[in-house]
Amino acid sequence: MPDLNSSPQDLSTLLRALPADAAAPYGYQEFERRAQQRDRRARGLAGGERLATACVVAVGLLAVLVRLGAMGGVGHPPAPGVPVVRSAPGPEDETLPPHAGVAERWLASLPEEPAIVHVGTRAAVLGLEDRIAQIDDLLSTARDSGDAPARLATLRQERARLVGTLVQVRYAEVLAEGSL
Amino acid sequence: MTVCPELLARARGGEAAARQALYAQLAPATLNLIRRIVGQRALAEDLFQDTMMLFYERLAQYRSEAPLGAWLRQIAVSRCLMYLRSPWKRARLCLEPVDGGVAAEVAALVTPGYSGELIDLERGLASLAPTARAIVWMYEVEGYSHQEIATAFGRSVSFSKSQLARAHARLRLLLEPEVQRPSCLI
Repeated sequence: MPDLNSSPQDLSTLLRALPADAAAPYGYQEFERRAQQRDRRARGLAGGERLATACVVAVGLLAVLVRLGAMGGVGHPPAPGVPVVRSAPGPEDETLPPHAGVAERWLASLPEEPAIVHVGTRAAVLGLEDRIAQIDDLLSTARDSGDAPARLATLRQERARLVGTLVQVRYAEVLAEGSL
Repeated sequence: MTVCPELLARARGGEAAARQALYAQLAPATLNLIRRIVGQRALAEDLFQDTMMLFYERLAQYRSEAPLGAWLRQIAVSRCLMYLRSPWKRARLCLEPVDGGVAAEVAALVTPGYSGELIDLERGLASLAPTARAIVWMYEVEGYSHQEIATAFGRSVSFSKSQLARAHARLRLLLEPEVQRPSCLI
């Protein structure tokens, strides 16, 4: 069992003692092959980028043209002698707002039964721990530079909030383990 | 690690055999360094490929102010830190398996050269957060100072110190023998 308590030097020695042979790299030929593959991919991506830019520009132009066409049609009065035909409003037109159809389709696309998704908490915990360490770091800097007490209080408050969230995540983990 | 100046000159001139010889000499330590910093073998190979490609691209700019191996290590560390600081890293982390990933990485590493305590240490390192692992390795093995680490990460010195202290505490916790404590009622 490595003893990390005795001195930091021990950890350094142990880390240096870790064998390096487990990480033997691939050969030079394989390196060259991968390098060429990356070059080809990079060239392909550059071509793809140009194509994507052209597509975006074309779609933008089309949208502008459509918009201009729609605006041009708004203010024109009907020509004299031409009967104006109006479609009779249906029963749905009066009762439903304009976006009702979209909302109906979206609701219909939802699954009938709610799905429960299990998500690992590792990323959340790491993120919270990193953020807490960052706040600790800011607190130390603020204390050293004699910042305003209000700023220190804000940082402490933020830290307490983050620790609270971390505790909740840990508690949820314990509950999840208990329910398995 | 010293590299023969004649070999270096030939490699700079683009001679394939010399470049291959340089690769054979420098690649193992470079991949090992990258794998220690980022943890995962597949990811380490991606960054290793980037590093070596960049190394050959910049070889003409090398001025022999530092040993070639140290210069390459600087490129490798810089590539690793660029990866660790990128927002994509966070997204990728969410998709990683939680415990199976660590176990599989450690199992893949263990060779006959490993003693029991080194396996424990390997497992402990693999379970650290990527930033913490990078800081541990850079400080303890590569000899970076807290100031240099802080500059490399674009953070303050106390960030480096607090990350290292937390990593030490976590390693200590992971490496302590499990004690069967009696349960108690509160």
